[in-house]
Amino acid sequence: MAPQSMSKPGSPLMEVRDLSVAMRSESGVRPILNTIDLTVMPRSVLGIIGESGSGKTVLSRALVNWIKPPLAITSGSVRYGGRDLLALPEEEMAALRGREIAYIGANPTSALDPTVPVGHQILEKLRAVAPQLSRQDARKRIIDTLDAVRIPSPAKRFDEYPFQFSGGMMQRALIVDALVSNPKLLIADNITQPLDVTVAAQILRLLRDLQKDFDTAVVFISSALGIVSEIADDMIVLDRGHIVERQPVNALLEKPEHGYTRELIAKVPKIWTGAAEPPAPSAQNVVLDVRDVEKTYEVRDRNAIFAHRKVQAVRGVSFTVRRGENFGIIGESGCGKSTLSRLLSCLEAPNRGQILFEDRDIATLRGKDLLALRRRFQLLLQDPYNAIAAHSSIGRTIAEPLLIHGLVPRREIRKRVSAVMSEVGLSPSLYDQLPVGLSAGQRQRVNIARALVLEPELLILDETLSALDQVEQAKLLDLFETLQARRGITYVYISHDLAMVRRVCARIAVMYLGRVVELSDNETLFASSSHPYTRALLSAVPTVEEKPYKTETYLLEGEPPDPIDIPPGCSFRTRCPFAFDRCAREDPRLTLLSDGSLSACHLEGSGLPAVDIAGLQPVATVAQTRPVAP
Amino acid sequence: MAFAIEFFLRRISQGLVIVLLVAFVIFTLLRIVPGDPIRIILGPMTPASVLEQTAKDLGLRDPILVQFGRFVGQVATGDLGRSFIRGLQGGSAGGSQDAAGYNPESRASVAELIGTALPYSLQLAGLGILFALLVAVPIGMAAGLRAGKWPDRLGLYVSSLFVSLPNIWVAVVLIFLLSAKADLLPAIGYRGFSYTIIPAMVVAIELSPVMIRAISVSVAANLGEIYYDVGMVRGLSRWTMIFKHVLRNAAVPLLNLFGAQMIGMLLGGLFVVEYIFSYPGVGMLTINAVFQRDFPIIQAVAILASGALVAINMLVDFTSTTIDRRLKF
Ligand SMILES: Nc1ncnc2c1ncn2[C@@H]1O[C@H](COP(=O)(O)OP(=O)(O)O)[C@@H](O)[C@H]1O
Ligand code: SF4
Ligand SMILES: [Mg+2]
Repeated sequence: MAPQSMSKPGSPLMEVRDLSVAMRSESGVRPILNTIDLTVMPRSVLGIIGESGSGKTVLSRALVNWIKPPLAITSGSVRYGGRDLLALPEEEMAALRGREIAYIGANPTSALDPTVPVGHQILEKLRAVAPQLSRQDARKRIIDTLDAVRIPSPAKRFDEYPFQFSGGMMQRALIVDALVSNPKLLIADNITQPLDVTVAAQILRLLRDLQKDFDTAVVFISSALGIVSEIADDMIVLDRGHIVERQPVNALLEKPEHGYTRELIAKVPKIWTGAAEPPAPSAQNVVLDVRDVEKTYEVRDRNAIFAHRKVQAVRGVSFTVRRGENFGIIGESGCGKSTLSRLLSCLEAPNRGQILFEDRDIATLRGKDLLALRRRFQLLLQDPYNAIAAHSSIGRTIAEPLLIHGLVPRREIRKRVSAVMSEVGLSPSLYDQLPVGLSAGQRQRVNIARALVLEPELLILDETLSALDQVEQAKLLDLFETLQARRGITYVYISHDLAMVRRVCARIAVMYLGRVVELSDNETLFASSSHPYTRALLSAVPTVEEKPYKTETYLLEGEPPDPIDIPPGCSFRTRCPFAFDRCAREDPRLTLLSDGSLSACHLEGSGLPAVDIAGLQPVATVAQTRPVAP
Repeated sequence: MAFAIEFFLRRISQGLVIVLLVAFVIFTLLRIVPGDPIRIILGPMTPASVLEQTAKDLGLRDPILVQFGRFVGQVATGDLGRSFIRGLQGGSAGGSQDAAGYNPESRASVAELIGTALPYSLQLAGLGILFALLVAVPIGMAAGLRAGKWPDRLGLYVSSLFVSLPNIWVAVVLIFLLSAKADLLPAIGYRGFSYTIIPAMVVAIELSPVMIRAISVSVAANLGEIYYDVGMVRGLSRWTMIFKHVLRNAAVPLLNLFGAQMIGMLLGGLFVVEYIFSYPGVGMLTINAVFQRDFPIIQAVAILASGALVAINMLVDFTSTTIDRRLKF
């Protein structure tokens, strides 16, 4: 294949030639990467895109010679600074790692020793890499860099432990860890994947700035085209271990040459331009009526004797859901979505307020009535792995709720379960098998089947599809739609995935710090949201289309404050670009606006920039989404 | 700091309740087993009228709750009561020398008996743990670092072997080899520090298999953690990762194992080993007390043991949360 187009002159920093990696197992050798050629130029950002399983992580690890059995490099070279990294003795490779070549992975929360403060671990690394630096100087340099990535009160954070950092904060700390030793090359594998869109957008912007300041070249790997295209100069498309296309990012988006690239671009969900018509709100009776519910947890305070602090997870949430409707709840992590889902599914009781299911307060139900009610609404969780017992057969797992509720005579159980299995797309021949070897999507289907055997009327889906890739997710959404048509099920989708909510939900509530700040129908929310927070979320969604909400206008700094000390006034004001003095004094209540939406903001939609949906481009090129650096 | 104060206040108060409950159960049990303590105190030849009178004088005919209350009051002032049997010089006062009337002052104080024996037991336990660590840390670490390879198998063999050897047998073999044959170390009784060494080896052989397994399992588990691999990619050396991070993380499950399981094994081991070697520690004191039905000693040792268990678990938990701040107690 021809060498890639070069956006900057000069000699390459890293050259990969003819790299192949294979997996060796008892059943033979399976190729994972095939004859990869790529070139990284100094001070450039090379984007690598591909679906999950295409070999991106393996490639990124091969670049730092970090391939472990059962994987093995079968051919090729990775030339860096005149040497082949793959042929380098272990000590010389170790001398390059962290000094000249840094690596950041997708799993920020488990990348550091959980028992040692974050700052101390960065210090340990910096001192290992640059022993000439004194302890004080090293410490100062780290705190300065923590400050540069906008970690609040960096000197205090220096002594805090990994579990006290949120995912986004931790990812920033790891960026500091990587850049503090001034490497020439940074390899970033899917670093925004576990993060909220808002935080991911901040990290991208930060990395772009730092990359210029530190003169570092970056290899940026991701499965989200919308994210890579925001940062990369050149792009490589990886499909099942082969490079199928390489182009500068603009050209790739405008004139994709390979069919697979076109497919990838087409798969990026459309939110504004060419989005499918969202489902309409239902006019049937109200199934779920949530009235001003509140939930507070007490946590022990390590710095005072016998003291507790109150975490206000949900602070007075009200909404109604009608039969056969898809209701969405969105917000950043930590905003109280999962607490709310536990309240809705009766796993916990609210401290205040009521939850009515078909006009009966679920808090007043006991014993038999509660069990009968539980049957009619079911909660589906995110993690398809922990929810399924490894040692009982798939059929038995699905049948379990039937046995608990004792609804069906034993001899009919098998029939019922098999019917549900085929309904969710699991072959009934799996009935007697153990769940080992099921894919994430299949496991999620087992969970769904287990919920469906009880013939529920309301399903609460808490990030149920977040762990799945886009293809599998689309299949399950279709399944939910079919089930809805057939059984009239009502869904509450709780998610941070805005594109999914756009596709399936008729009405959407936006949560911030335990409150609903905006509640409106799908079209109104996406096309003309009247709350600055919603707009900020929408401005951060990774897409390839042009966005009606410009990142520069709405981008949020930082993360939601602790739900322990919630400031008086509007709780969003610490991050709101439109805050004015009234916001500090007065807490805005949810108010009905003329477009039919409810919004908790003193501006009531009137002081926000106008939105022009009609004039948007279906594919935004980089020049439009990103201000060109001077 | 605030955390430490709250932790200890809470745990000490909980611990006192536990020890009190244990004390009550033991106190009651010892008074409902067949056999009248007053017969043990005064001997079999004493006339019934004297027995009854002495029992009344000593309060042994009061309801159990009253007796227990009195006992707790004494314990609070540091008085654990007096032996039924042992005289002031420590020897058994058996027979019926008190047939005419019983003078409690003629019997040894339990607190003093335990106070004399305890340092020997602590010395034996300390040395036993030290030996066990000397064996278990290198073997366990090697096994953990090379999971599935020969050091792992060596660890498994050594621990299976040690588990399957009965205390008595090990003791006899060691006495035979080191003392009788080679004349390197003394074995029976106590006349100096060297008398502790062989018994400590036996204790160590009892403890080390559990330690080896625990160390190798938690070291291997930590090598599988993401932070270990990432550490080396971040630019730290393998040995830095092992000594600064893996060992630190592996210490927590080990400590908990110590609090939960090994401390029980240690106490049990001490009793047997002290008895085998006639080693003058608390274990020996207790076993003799059991044979002689010397209830005050038995109950004091039981209460002390439960107190020690509570205290050690408190320290273990505190150390664990200091190492790993995610842990809550
Ligand atoms: N340690 C491993 N052992 C076995 N197979 C692996 C291992 N790591 C990756 N693979 C396989 O290599 C392929 C590519 O994986 P990966 O690089 O993680 O893809 P991506 O990062 O693009 O999602 C997958 O089929 C995966 O199952
Ligand atoms: S009330 Fe003020 S601070 Fe709150 S969202 Fe509206 S403008 Fe922003
Ligand atoms: Mg990956």
